[in-house]
Amino acid sequence: MNGWTLAATVGLAGGLGTALWGVATGPLRRRVVAQNLSTALACPGLLLLSQAYGRPSYVDLGLVLALLGPVGTLVFARLLADELAEDPPRAWGPTWAVAGLGAATVIALCVATGPSRAMVKLLVIGALLIGGNVIASRALSGGFRGVRRG
Amino acid sequence: MADAVIVVALLLVAASATVAVVTRDPVRQALVLAVLGVVLAVLFTVLQAPDVGLSQLAVGSALTPLLLMLTVRKVRRRGQEKGRGR
Amino acid sequence: MTRRARLWLLLAGGAGLAVLFAAACLKLPAFGGDRHPYGDRAVRASLARHTANTVSSVNFDQRAFDTLGEMTILFAAVLGCVVLLRQTRDEHRAAPEPAEVALPVRRYALIVLPVALVSGLYVVAHGQLSPGGGFQGGVVAATALHLLYLGADYRALERVRPVGRYEVGDALAASAYLVTGLAGLIGSAAFLANTILPYGTFNTLSSGGTVPLLNAAIGMEVACAVVVLLARFLDQAVEIEGEGGS
Repeated sequence: MNGWTLAATVGLAGGLGTALWGVATGPLRRRVVAQNLSTALACPGLLLLSQAYGRPSYVDLGLVLALLGPVGTLVFARLLADELAEDPPRAWGPTWAVAGLGAATVIALCVATGPSRAMVKLLVIGALLIGGNVIASRALSGGFRGVRRG
Repeated sequence: MADAVIVVALLLVAASATVAVVTRDPVRQALVLAVLGVVLAVLFTVLQAPDVGLSQLAVGSALTPLLLMLTVRKVRRRGQEKGRGR
Repeated sequence: MTRRARLWLLLAGGAGLAVLFAAACLKLPAFGGDRHPYGDRAVRASLARHTANTVSSVNFDQRAFDTLGEMTILFAAVLGCVVLLRQTRDEHRAAPEPAEVALPVRRYALIVLPVALVSGLYVVAHGQLSPGGGFQGGVVAATALHLLYLGADYRALERVRPVGRYEVGDALAASAYLVTGLAGLIGSAAFLANTILPYGTFNTLSSGGTVPLLNAAIGMEVACAVVVLLARFLDQAVEIEGEGGS
């Protein structure tokens, strides 16, 4: 077992475990935030697994999750806009903490990869992931105020 | 020891699938299902089936929540219309 | 049948299933073992046809006929949805209202839309090389279009999504798969045989014979099918209203 596998195991167990607990209990505003953070935590885990198995092509999973994970949260933010407007989530602390974790993972992987096209791909994934999750968090706390129906 | 990550993924899948079954409200169930999709993708990856994992991510992270939430919205609107008609 | 008898029947059936499952599990090869008779043959066949991703080789070459069946299932499922979710006589359409979306969210949607579309095409095109393929890439590309609904409003999406053309595209892609399969009859005597095209250089975009072509057909079919499916759901949720509705 190498260090990358260990990091992925600890990250996935702790991160997704917490996200699962958050999405299973509590008011709706906590559940949507936990759903958003679950993708933000799983994506670095998938990237670490790709490095752990020595298979650069597994990075595609991270790419797809970084693209579609925030889109999934936008779906909830848009179609639950009424419920969330009454009781808006405020979770900037966890959002930025998870974004920092994702950034640290991507930087560590970039250092391990060295300058190449693979590194550019990792940086694109990192930017999409962090940007996407911060925007999704913004959308959850009042991004769709003007949506009545439609 | 290298199997630890497989055990973690299996436990996460079992836990989130159970939560998805015991959650009754469709909206909250859709949220749990989105997390279950991500966890399943991780399980497929650690079992060295990235093709299946990619399918799961593509379908489970945005498409399934969108279909479920649109259905919930339609059913709720229909319920409101019926309530007003009475 | 009384409730009690039904319960006993269920318990008996469940117990039988549990016994069969346990018996089957005991005969399975050990978890993570090194004996894979089918896997070894599949890898050998895919290497012989210069296809780097063995899963793609199985899906679109060795078992391409099964994929034809799966494609038909998706086609029929979407067709069923289109019929079930049509606008009935006692329903009418109300124009969707424009939505005010926060500026960062709107910008994000407009930036990510082309990126996700290109990623979808990338996943389709690299199906024979890395994990992915027509199905995965098609779903990603189709989901990307719906960022217009999420980031703007339904009218913006309707402008770039003439549903009729996507329905035609769905049917065309399904027939492209069939035609590629029939072309296999020219080179050899088998439907969907991977013999008409050169296998190319291993691990390049043009390798694998007909695998990239079939991948592209599936990608187009899935993307069009998902767009048509979501269009019906969105119509029902946003536009179509019952008699005297809000």
